[in-house]
Amino acid sequence: MGKRTDAEMPENPLEPYIESIRQQLEEQDPVLLVGVIVALAVVVITCVFLKYFLTSKTVRSAVLLVGLCDAGKTLLFIRLLSGKFKRTQTSITDSSAPYKAKNDRGSTWTLIDLPGHDSLRSQYLEKFKSAARAIVFVVDSAIFQKEVRDVAEFLYMLLTDTVVCRNAPTLLVACNKQDITMAKSAKLIQQQLEKELNTLRVTRSAVLSAQDGSVGGSVYLGKKGKDFEFSQLPMKVEFLECSARGSKGDDGVADVESLEKSLAKL
Amino acid sequence: MLDFFTIFSKGGIVLWCFQGAGVTESFTGPVNALIRSVILQERGGNNSFTHEALSMKYKLDNEFELIFVVGFQKILTLTYVDKFIDDVQLHFRDRYKNELEQKGALKHVNNSFDFEDRFKKLLREAEESSKARSPPPMRSFEKSEKSQKTVKSMIETKGGDKAKEQGGKKNKHTKKEAPAVEPAKGDQGKTPPSGQKAVVNGNQGLTPEEIIQKNREDFFRKRMMGPAEKPIKSPKPQKPKEKQNRVWNNGGSSAKNLDYSNKNGEASPGDGERNLDGRFDPDMQVSSMKGDLLSVDYESSEEGEMEEEEEEEVVVSETSKTSPKKSGGFGGMFGMLKGLVGSKSLSREDMEPVLEKMKDHLIAKNVAADISSQLCESVAKKLEGKVMGTFTTVASTVKQALQDSLVQILQPKRRVDILRDVMEAQSQRRPFVVTFCGVNGVGKSTNLAKISYWLIENGFSVLIAACDTFRAGAVEQLRTHQRRLNSLHPPEKHGGRPVIQLYEKGYGKDAAGIAMEAIAYARNQAFDVVLVDTAGRMQDNAPLMTALAKLIAVNMPDLVLFVGEALVGNEAVDQLVKFNQALADHSMSDKPRLIDGIVLTKFDTIDDKVGAAISMTYITGQPIVFVGTGQTYNDLRSLNARAVVGALMKA
Ligand SMILES: Nc1nc2c(ncn2[C@@H]2O[C@H](COP(=O)(O)OP(=O)(O)O)[C@@H](O)[C@H]2O)c(=O)[nH]1
Ligand SMILES: Nc1nc2c(ncn2[C@@H]2O[C@H](COP(=O)(O)OP(=O)(O)O)[C@@H](O)[C@H]2O)c(=O)[nH]1
Ligand SMILES: [Mg+2]
Ligand SMILES: [Mg+2]
Repeated sequence: MGKRTDAEMPENPLEPYIESIRQQLEEQDPVLLVGVIVALAVVVITCVFLKYFLTSKTVRSAVLLVGLCDAGKTLLFIRLLSGKFKRTQTSITDSSAPYKAKNDRGSTWTLIDLPGHDSLRSQYLEKFKSAARAIVFVVDSAIFQKEVRDVAEFLYMLLTDTVVCRNAPTLLVACNKQDITMAKSAKLIQQQLEKELNTLRVTRSAVLSAQDGSVGGSVYLGKKGKDFEFSQLPMKVEFLECSARGSKGDDGVADVESLEKSLAKL
Repeated sequence: MLDFFTIFSKGGIVLWCFQGAGVTESFTGPVNALIRSVILQERGGNNSFTHEALSMKYKLDNEFELIFVVGFQKILTLTYVDKFIDDVQLHFRDRYKNELEQKGALKHVNNSFDFEDRFKKLLREAEESSKARSPPPMRSFEKSEKSQKTVKSMIETKGGDKAKEQGGKKNKHTKKEAPAVEPAKGDQGKTPPSGQKAVVNGNQGLTPEEIIQKNREDFFRKRMMGPAEKPIKSPKPQKPKEKQNRVWNNGGSSAKNLDYSNKNGEASPGDGERNLDGRFDPDMQVSSMKGDLLSVDYESSEEGEMEEEEEEEVVVSETSKTSPKKSGGFGGMFGMLKGLVGSKSLSREDMEPVLEKMKDHLIAKNVAADISSQLCESVAKKLEGKVMGTFTTVASTVKQALQDSLVQILQPKRRVDILRDVMEAQSQRRPFVVTFCGVNGVGKSTNLAKISYWLIENGFSVLIAACDTFRAGAVEQLRTHQRRLNSLHPPEKHGGRPVIQLYEKGYGKDAAGIAMEAIAYARNQAFDVVLVDTAGRMQDNAPLMTALAKLIAVNMPDLVLFVGEALVGNEAVDQLVKFNQALADHSMSDKPRLIDGIVLTKFDTIDDKVGAAISMTYITGQPIVFVGTGQTYNDLRSLNARAVVGALMKA
């Protein structure tokens, strides 16, 4: 039933209207017509400007915690907000809360902890990436060696995202779990990631196009013809070491000052 | 008795937890395993999970975004657990209502949820009631009264509320649970393997509900840890099978099907029978569970939810069978307004008509019937009790949730970058070995050639191992591809070395041996990749499946790709489950090599009936690595989850 009426609609009821409008317009004198058109144009342009103005003006105030599963994002989230230790499980949705930066300005950001599981990560990143003022990329330094390729792939996806590249939020790579003795240093992690991202640039650009013809990651990572370095990126990148667990076990205080300091500078 | 009980937010913050006396191991690992392999894989239709020696049950609270998990030793049969979770949930919500209603995640971080005494009391009560071996109507009635006062929305979902629903429920029990109880009885009669004996005996004295619960667990264990279990013999004709066949006939209208059904005939039914059974049990339970839930909703909707249902029908313009309408247009309008403006929590009854429609929609898009219902069940579990925003309809909420779940399923659960892995193998001076397997005529050889082409284009050298020593012309087919690819990329351009070679030993030889020789050859000649073509085989052909399992166990390829047609409907489930089972059964190590990627072929022939993509990823949990979209070398793509889901959801 719905279909039939739909099909008839454009034929009958509109035609007389259009006809009468055209007649009226022809009767009017052309000056008025120009006036009307100009007025309309002004309104449209104002709207467009206003929208542009508003969207570009909105302060991006979210600080995203991203990274692989078990990197310690949720515990960092808890530590940053309350300083307490809590047990955590694999997250299946985001958590967000206002976070007061430890600086004189007293700026408040929205801290958002995103799930790190492979099957959720891109969906959640999609949802929050445009609001990101800073992205804290959390790495498990203790098993970094084993995970380096996965970490790099996630980072590659993040850094070649068009929205992320355009907004260029500060990237803080938090090398977490420094309390564990085998943990790799921030410096080494940076070097290894640069090397791995350099390789990924080759393999990822050769990846098959998707069914709809789109190729993932349209942004070229870093400078063409040069080995990749984080300094080539459009955003500010900082590597820091921290430990959400703290050296004294579960009840001790965390060692996250470096991260807090960096967040205060945003 | 309980090992642990934990309550955490969906964001992953543990609010409160209990650890049983003498339990030293942390529950974090097992609970994470539960989250990753059940909740995140949309297998939520089933609420229990076994991890090593632990049994776990969980419950989602979608209104407050909480998860309740209880764990106990799997050798124990704790009959009170289901009801206990419900009770704990009610009490927890009741006690921390105010805290939980705050916005944001700060409430989880800052409040201390000191639930210890209340929990202890509940646990004591539950244990005592189970010791007394008396069915717990009295107690539960009392509790349901309590709950009525506090959290209204919970009452409908409360399982153990027999006293309240006694009237309608009794006949439902007998009617709906019959099929599920049957298989359990069959097991008893058929002399179960000794390992299972204790459990089976334990069944006596359980209520039908509990038996179902146990069966579900068994099913789950079988699915998850299939290798360990020996298939149980039960020669009964299997119901789901019939159903599958019927829908499959509907689904396929293309000429390729003809091909397919011919080959179906080849498989000898006797061979497959034994292997079949182990896996059909679970299917049966799933559908029987389904039946149970369905009827509850249908009946209760007749009792009083009519208005609600009607409103749904208005909003969704429901076309399915509608029972005679009781209230007139006015009531419908009012309901619709109420539904639009008021924020209310979703109940099972609200969702049922939409879910039913979605299920049919998915089946129409060629998703296997079984999987459609499991998916819808999981979506229902995820939404039940969730508070809808203003100006959203039930239909749109369900649709959105389903869409998210589908994207989630298609999203690879591990890194998929074959080129990177080939480079890694290269740096270790060994060839990267890929084995292709699948049933006959799905396009193994053709897509193997396409993948060779892609690898060559990216600067790698390829050795094809012709291990299809069965089908006439199979070697010649590969030879032709190899010649063509060599003429496209002549050796002169690649340092005088052919970029692709064929390793063949003619017909009738042992495939595993040829593969092994080929890999050794590739290592000596410094080939980067070895692609192993295998003979097509029907999943029911036991000797051939054993041969495949042997080939894989002996050669330990880096990647085992299952090649499947996008045309396949319900058959996809059977194929994949059996291929995986065969690989598991014949593996010599305790961590068996299963299928770890899928090539979805003939994607160009299916228009928007893209359901096979969902079926295959859902069953294996493995990513679709390549998509074949035609018959030229260029027709190879990667999967775009969003595009596929878009096509699926399209009306
Ligand atoms: N030793 C140590 N363990 C940590 C640290 N940070 C987090 N963890 C533990 O790592 C596990 C995963 O943490 P979680 O925050 O849930 O990771 P997420 O998946 O990234 O959110 C938990 O068991 C944490 O207790 C740390 O700095 N040191
Ligand atoms: N349209 C289409 N046809 C395909 C595709 N892949 C394979 N085929 C065809 O399917 C048939 C069987 O392929 P073949 O590789 O011999 O199957 P095998 O028995 O699994 O090795 C051949 O006619 C192929 O051309 C595809 O992606 N699209
Ligand atoms: Mg987390
Ligand atoms: Mg072949």
